[in-house]
Amino acid sequence: MREGIGATLLALIAVFAPLSLLSFGGSNAVMADIAQQTINIHHWTTEREFADLFALSRAAPGPGSMLTALIGWKVAGVAGALTATLALYAPGAILVFAVSRVWYRWRGSRWHSAVERGLAPIAAGLFLSGGLALLRAEPAGWPVWAAAALTTVVLLRWPKLNPLLLLLAGALLFAVVPV
Amino acid sequence: MARPVADLIATPSGVSGADASVGLWRIFSVFLRLGSTSFGGGTAGWLHRDIVLRRGWIDEADFIRMLSLGQVLPGANGIKMTVLIGQRLRGVLGALAALFGLLAGPFVIVLALGAIYARLSGIALLHHMLDGAAAAVIGLTLATGLRAAGQGSPGATGLAFTAVTVFCVGVLRWPMLPVLVVLAPLSIGLAWRQPRSG
Repeated sequence: MREGIGATLLALIAVFAPLSLLSFGGSNAVMADIAQQTINIHHWTTEREFADLFALSRAAPGPGSMLTALIGWKVAGVAGALTATLALYAPGAILVFAVSRVWYRWRGSRWHSAVERGLAPIAAGLFLSGGLALLRAEPAGWPVWAAAALTTVVLLRWPKLNPLLLLLAGALLFAVVPV
Repeated sequence: MARPVADLIATPSGVSGADASVGLWRIFSVFLRLGSTSFGGGTAGWLHRDIVLRRGWIDEADFIRMLSLGQVLPGANGIKMTVLIGQRLRGVLGALAALFGLLAGPFVIVLALGAIYARLSGIALLHHMLDGAAAAVIGLTLATGLRAAGQGSPGATGLAFTAVTVFCVGVLRWPMLPVLVVLAPLSIGLAWRQPRSG
């Protein structure tokens, strides 16, 4: 069960670096894959732990996918956290840096616009699928689905509402109401 | 299609709207603060408010150009915007300063939270509270996704592609890459045949 630390770090890179280049529509797009790899393939966390780490990562500020830092930390300490974070972010960051230098030059061209418009609906679909994957990974079941649906409606109605308030409300609600 | 070669060589930092006086340390510290205070995800929104509206380091048109570029590339949106803004301000060093600034705070904070969780994970109440918080964040994700699906008047075709993607990846749980390889060329091809007119 216990591999060498080097092998573990390599496994983290092998899992997260490709996902970096597959996360069209943002990191939520690969959430399903992250859950699958972490829970079922590598057994780095249980479903319960994964759900908790996810919530923890969202309670922290900054870009949403600090979840990978927590997964890396769980399997290989601070070195694992650093490795997983860099593996998830560096490839995408380098790609956007390189492509932007060329991309701006072709603004207004027909293919530029076609690629942009063609990918947008698929990106939205992947983003939504990421949300569904998170729901499925939640061991608490239907109360979470109900609360998530309620939050969705509230945020669609009042988009400017600070999500932190809803996070707090959700935490308090589930602390008080037994599920 | 042909553009002057000089145009291709010119660096983006010479385009417009960039404030050349912003130093690396300043970039790092501003992004450090941003990263450490932007709760609830949606980093791109926080960046817009601070970098464009408050500081005026990047103008609105530039920001939107960066957003649309980010849309067609993989990666977390906040990370992509951070790289592009840093790059525009100070080239590759600016991008690095911005990126490490953005990630440093959340990284330390999330590990601290993780350490606390490891000590408290036996407490059932904590799990309930985390479930409740997670439900709210999932709601935020779904609301954002639904809004993105309706953005830029996608029409029936666009909505259909969104729905098929959700069905294949979100409901049937097919792996994402093959779905993307089939759907993306189709969707781009249809967009190509219908140039934006009105």
